[in-house]
Amino acid sequence: MKKLIFSLYFFFLLSFGIFSYLFIDPNLIYLSRVYTGFALTNRSLITLGYSLFISSFFVFYLLFLMMLKRNKLSIKEVVTLIFSTTVILLFAYPAMLSYDIFNYIATAKLLFFYHENPYIIMPIEFAGDPLLLFVHAANKTALYGPFWILLTGVPYFLGFGNFLVTLFNFKLFIAIFYLASSWLVYKLSNNIKSVVLFSLNPLVIIESLVSGHNDIVMMVFVLASLYLAKKKLIGIVLYLFSVLIKYSTIFLFPVYVFIVMKKSFSKKIYLYASILMFLIFLLSPLREELYPWYAIWFLPLLYIFTNKGPLVLLTNLLCFGLLLSYLPFMYSGTYFGLTPLIKYLFVSVPVGLTFLFITINKLVWQKSSNRF
Amino acid sequence: MKKLKILLISLIFLLSIVIPSYAASNYVLPYPSFMPGSKIYTLHVLWQKALKFWYFGDFGQFEYNLKEADKYLVEAKTLFEYKQYLLGYNALQKSNTYFKNTLPYLISAKKHGKNILEKEIILREASLKHEEVLIVLIQEVPSQFRWSPEKVSPQDLNIKNLIEESLSLRKNYEKTDL
Repeated sequence: MKKLIFSLYFFFLLSFGIFSYLFIDPNLIYLSRVYTGFALTNRSLITLGYSLFISSFFVFYLLFLMMLKRNKLSIKEVVTLIFSTTVILLFAYPAMLSYDIFNYIATAKLLFFYHENPYIIMPIEFAGDPLLLFVHAANKTALYGPFWILLTGVPYFLGFGNFLVTLFNFKLFIAIFYLASSWLVYKLSNNIKSVVLFSLNPLVIIESLVSGHNDIVMMVFVLASLYLAKKKLIGIVLYLFSVLIKYSTIFLFPVYVFIVMKKSFSKKIYLYASILMFLIFLLSPLREELYPWYAIWFLPLLYIFTNKGPLVLLTNLLCFGLLLSYLPFMYSGTYFGLTPLIKYLFVSVPVGLTFLFITINKLVWQKSSNRF
Repeated sequence: MKKLKILLISLIFLLSIVIPSYAASNYVLPYPSFMPGSKIYTLHVLWQKALKFWYFGDFGQFEYNLKEADKYLVEAKTLFEYKQYLLGYNALQKSNTYFKNTLPYLISAKKHGKNILEKEIILREASLKHEEVLIVLIQEVPSQFRWSPEKVSPQDLNIKNLIEESLSLRKNYEKTDL
């Protein structure tokens, strides 16, 4: 049975990887040979396909968690699952749900090829550059921290000027950080269930291994700083690196003040840290919008703190809702009209209803236990 | 019918007088920034000088120099309007120095394989805008001014010459085709 589930999972990942290529941007000249235009011309089908893939992803996630609960999943098998997922999805098309990876490459090219400051000069100023055909934020200066831009020099230079090699280098680069985050979650939680909850979470997998978002890189530096918190200076330097990747971890500052002041800290620190990052996640629509990959800001911290109970259930439902929030745009092709409203409904309804159910259940249970 | 024609023509004529005609260039100059005499002017100048390193790269340096040229031109204009001729004179000299630096960076960008077409248009538009300001200034300022500070020998400022020099520099850059 286990072999069957594993085989089905690998087959599923392969199918998802192939499915991702239906989303190739029509202007991505480097992949024109495999461009079908399917996602643009068959919106209903693609929406249905994506919903099925996401639902199946969560079914597998649930299966792995159940297997773990019944002691049918060893650490070695978890490691195999994580590595296989990484290897298979490394080859998935990254701009299926977001174009951020193109922005990373454009910013890196601006600095390392054109030798210009990406905080002043925009990619759009390099008329005639083929990247402009498909980079969506070409009219913006760099959005990320300087440490991230410096880090991108590694995958950029290893691309040797070839766009496709560079693109998959960026994916590989992010994948390494995904693996590092899995290891750090294990080291900090000392519990394999936390690793399964985090590393096999479909949202973490899709946003890190498929879309290649740099949020996982930022969180690896936070996790590493917490892991090395006893060596205060190294811990603080790593934390600063994290802030200089995407800035949002600046809100963990109170946690670090506490760590510096106290000689030791309990596991509750991860709860406080995840609450702070969750608050920033909730406030992100004030700046732009609630992007699904922002959930990576609090997921590892939360799963290190706890791996059971209603909080984990609600978090996983939120992840499910966040991944479904891509559906309205996928179906309609527009960010306007009803799209934003439906997006927020997808995110809030599953969590809200479950929260209501848990609360009512608890109240009823409390009342009935008081009666007897 | 004839009366209507006359009415229409006079209306168009009246409107053409009432509606102001705008500058030939769409280029927008900045608001006046900190002025000499302000307590933090020196700090501001130091900060602007430090920014030179932040604006690295050919395009960055082009932007930096043009931005500074704009800033000092506006500063010169404001100071001349307040009859602060020595300060205005110095500001215009600085504007010229920065303006001179713009073109070499575009040439360097071209050498490095960058498409400079849009930047060339920006430089042309900026030159035109600067000329507009300078043409107004040349009519408003005295052609020469003797600056006589205490305990120091007086200094003759050839304002008109400097403005003409500035105009010729802008005209040259406006016509330069890379």
